[in-house]
Amino acid sequence: MWRLLRTRLTSVISRRRLEHELDRELAFHLDMLTEQHVRAGMAPGEARRLALREFGRPDAVKEDVRESWLSRTVETFGQDARYGLRTLRRSPGFALVVILTMALGIGANTAIFSVVNGVLLQPLPYDHADRLLVLRQHRPLAEAELPFSFQELEEYRQVDALEGIAEFHEMWFILLGGAEPSRVATGVVSSNFFDVLGVSPLHGRAFEPSDERHDAPAVLLLSHRYWTHEFDSDPAIVGRLFEMNDRPHRVVGVLPPVPQYPSDVDVYMPASACPFRSETVASLDRTGRMMQAVARMRPGVIVADVRTGLTNVAGRMMAAHPEAYPEDLGFAVTATPLQEDVTRSFRTMLLVLLGTAGFVLLIVCASVANLTLARLAQRDRELSVRAALGASRRRLLRQLLTESTILALLGGLAGLAVAAAGLDLLVAFAGGFTSRAAEVHIDGFVLLYTLVISTATGIVFGSAPALTRFKEDRHQRRHTSHAAQGARGALIVTQVAVSFMLLVGAGLTLRTLLELQQVDPGFRTDNIMTARVDLNFTRYESPASRAPFWERLEGRLREIPGVTSVGGAGTFPLNDRGPFNEFIHIEGHDNLTVRPRADLRLVTPGYFETLGQPLVSGRPFAAADREGAPYVVIINRAMAQHYWPGEDVIGKRISGDGKAWSTVVGMVADARQQLNRTPGDEIYVPMFQGGQLSSNWLVRSERDPDALAADIRAAVRSLDAEQPVDAFRTLAAVRVASLESPRLTAILLGLFAGLALVITAAGLAGVVAFSVSQRTQEFGVRMALGADRRALFALVVRQGLWLVVIGLSIGTAGALVMARTMTALLFGVEPTDALTFLSVALVLMAVAAAACLIPARRAAAVDPMVALRAGT
Amino acid sequence: MAGKSDLLQGTLDLLILKTLAGGPMHGWGVAQRIHVLSEDILQVNQGSLYPALHRLEQQGLIAAEWGASENNRQAKFYQLTKAGRKQLVDETRSWERMAGAVARILNA
Repeated sequence: MWRLLRTRLTSVISRRRLEHELDRELAFHLDMLTEQHVRAGMAPGEARRLALREFGRPDAVKEDVRESWLSRTVETFGQDARYGLRTLRRSPGFALVVILTMALGIGANTAIFSVVNGVLLQPLPYDHADRLLVLRQHRPLAEAELPFSFQELEEYRQVDALEGIAEFHEMWFILLGGAEPSRVATGVVSSNFFDVLGVSPLHGRAFEPSDERHDAPAVLLLSHRYWTHEFDSDPAIVGRLFEMNDRPHRVVGVLPPVPQYPSDVDVYMPASACPFRSETVASLDRTGRMMQAVARMRPGVIVADVRTGLTNVAGRMMAAHPEAYPEDLGFAVTATPLQEDVTRSFRTMLLVLLGTAGFVLLIVCASVANLTLARLAQRDRELSVRAALGASRRRLLRQLLTESTILALLGGLAGLAVAAAGLDLLVAFAGGFTSRAAEVHIDGFVLLYTLVISTATGIVFGSAPALTRFKEDRHQRRHTSHAAQGARGALIVTQVAVSFMLLVGAGLTLRTLLELQQVDPGFRTDNIMTARVDLNFTRYESPASRAPFWERLEGRLREIPGVTSVGGAGTFPLNDRGPFNEFIHIEGHDNLTVRPRADLRLVTPGYFETLGQPLVSGRPFAAADREGAPYVVIINRAMAQHYWPGEDVIGKRISGDGKAWSTVVGMVADARQQLNRTPGDEIYVPMFQGGQLSSNWLVRSERDPDALAADIRAAVRSLDAEQPVDAFRTLAAVRVASLESPRLTAILLGLFAGLALVITAAGLAGVVAFSVSQRTQEFGVRMALGADRRALFALVVRQGLWLVVIGLSIGTAGALVMARTMTALLFGVEPTDALTFLSVALVLMAVAAAACLIPARRAAAVDPMVALRAGT
Repeated sequence: MAGKSDLLQGTLDLLILKTLAGGPMHGWGVAQRIHVLSEDILQVNQGSLYPALHRLEQQGLIAAEWGASENNRQAKFYQLTKAGRKQLVDETRSWERMAGAVARILNA
């Protein structure tokens, strides 16, 4: 084998050596010829002349020899390709169907893969991202995550395997000095944060250790997104002063357009500039935990080394400070590679989509194989003629292979176009769960993937049928055509089965979406405008100054014309910002094995009325429930039934810290925080009774809620001209937005299933049509013998539907298994939902019947005379 | 054309393979041997011999090596490869079938 390769390579590469050798070879021949004549008695000179004459023109011989060198493979490939293109042009229908089918399947796969590639496979665009780890502390027994305190991070920094640990926490601060006072998401980070992540600024500089000194001037870095949106990408922003937390802050740099970790923020500030952090660090309280941590491993170190180091430190801390690590909650520290950590939340969903696309590809493969089988049968005569004219079996196979390759490449190319067209939709889709969506594009890796799947689909499934043809001897041809018909049937059955599974998957997600849209959340979402107002803590430093502001704001909002009720709250349902979930103490429930916890929700007196969340018993909050008045709470029905089933809850007592107790004064009906989640235990606390800084406002009116934004803004500004208000959304829009993910899942799965259905229907129509054309003569005979046209019609349809029925039964078994794996994605519908299975089966049957109709008509329209003559 | 016959291309390949089945040989030797064995009926023209040899080499049916000839000169020796040996068997069989068929027709 390798000698052959060498021969061919030599013929391509070292042409000169080859020429030289040929000269020598021919010279030798000439000499031998001369010698022969000499031996026969000629004079040497004469012998030479005769030999030269006999030999003919050496140049002509050499030219012929050279022709045999001209890489034969390349030459015949050219021939095959030309011939192949010609035959394909002669049957444009076949070529078109194959290319379109492949375009759809490969387009879908390429598109999904480009997302998987962009957000799962490609390393994060940080320097040596493979050495980045996310550190987390846990309380395993309480199933709770625990942020880090400053003291804890300092101790973990002693772990040898780590090059550095950076801290991060997110705050909302008010930035003054721009066009409007604005509320900015602020990443508060240690000065080594960007060094640890491996990100260099686009403009200006990153933070330096000196920025972290307490007397250092306050500085800011802008995220690329914020810089682009708010300052039109103006590089002159570096050096500009803004006011924040009553101090001037100077912008020292702008970040490059890389995804942000751990969260998307607008600006970054050095840790020491955060007033809240300074308080807890100064208090030396190791339970003042508010930070997240990212670490960089030393080169050559493995994650296990880091884990060991961290666990050792954790053990020392627990021994030295038992009060900070209560035994009943447990304590553990973990390190996860950053890449794994950021992809965890959507990895499963993406892989499900990739798998779904894979199923579509399977159907495409079956379809291509099927089309090729049918076409091969049509070309039987042509191939036989070529074989009879001396074409070797290998040559014919190569011919078919070349045609498959051409189709595969064209199909792949068309698929790439389909993927490119769908990429915007997918980037929007990916944007819903990762900031890496911007990195989704068709790169070399994606191209390679497309090339591999298209050649695999086109060549393997286009040529495998060809191979089987050549295995059989010519006498067995008739037999073969039966076997091929069987293979075609089996392929259709596969397609139907897989399509059924995809359709069931799509049907179940669609049912889920419909159920979610109809679910009663326990409150009304109509005619409500929401807005967010966060107080500037430097202006409202004392907690006591905040409640009066909220009270005045509630009053102003109520004065807006058309407004019927107003409610304020820390957060509100269906919002992606959940409430705080806290450990609580319940009077009379001290011996619970699981420490009780509940969502704490701060609300104003008008909240329940505005939302339309009914009070079941007791009283609503009143204006009198304020600072200084006895602490009161309202709980939801779920909590009441959880701890006091069948009892009156009014008068029961609950505490956050076990010292200050609040009395339950009312019970409200359950409201869903998320549409797909049953309500958990909830405790409502009067907002005016505490020093809440951030709030959301719900304004119900008789007017179009969208028109309220300006009035709400005016109401806020009339109280404080430097007070930002933003995040205007109607509650109805919030509800729609909360279904974005199931909606996109349903759309994508629906698209895939639709693709599968179309390809399968086309394949079925093709197979039935082919068998009709093969049986034209038989139909003619039947008709001549008196068969009814309707009977023939039914015969053909029955033959097609029979395949569908077999496919459906196999598909049902597959779908039952598959649907079980989807349980986590479903809501309000069982994975074995009979209605979905049945209606999907009916749709498939109907489409299949329609697909059989066209060829069946043709069968029924056969003219017996024509058919019989054609057969002779 | 008395006494001489032009060879069909496929036939020349077959004859070359058959000749080389006896052992390695240079182009001149192949021509001579075919001439002798065919009792002077078949005259292989170098104009077709060398292209055929090189074609077979490209196809991997024969391999070439430089060696010393009987009069101690450097000559290019060809020999059958494994694939060539198999091809020889196949081609021989199909030749026999065809020759038999033609003979039957002529004798009918």
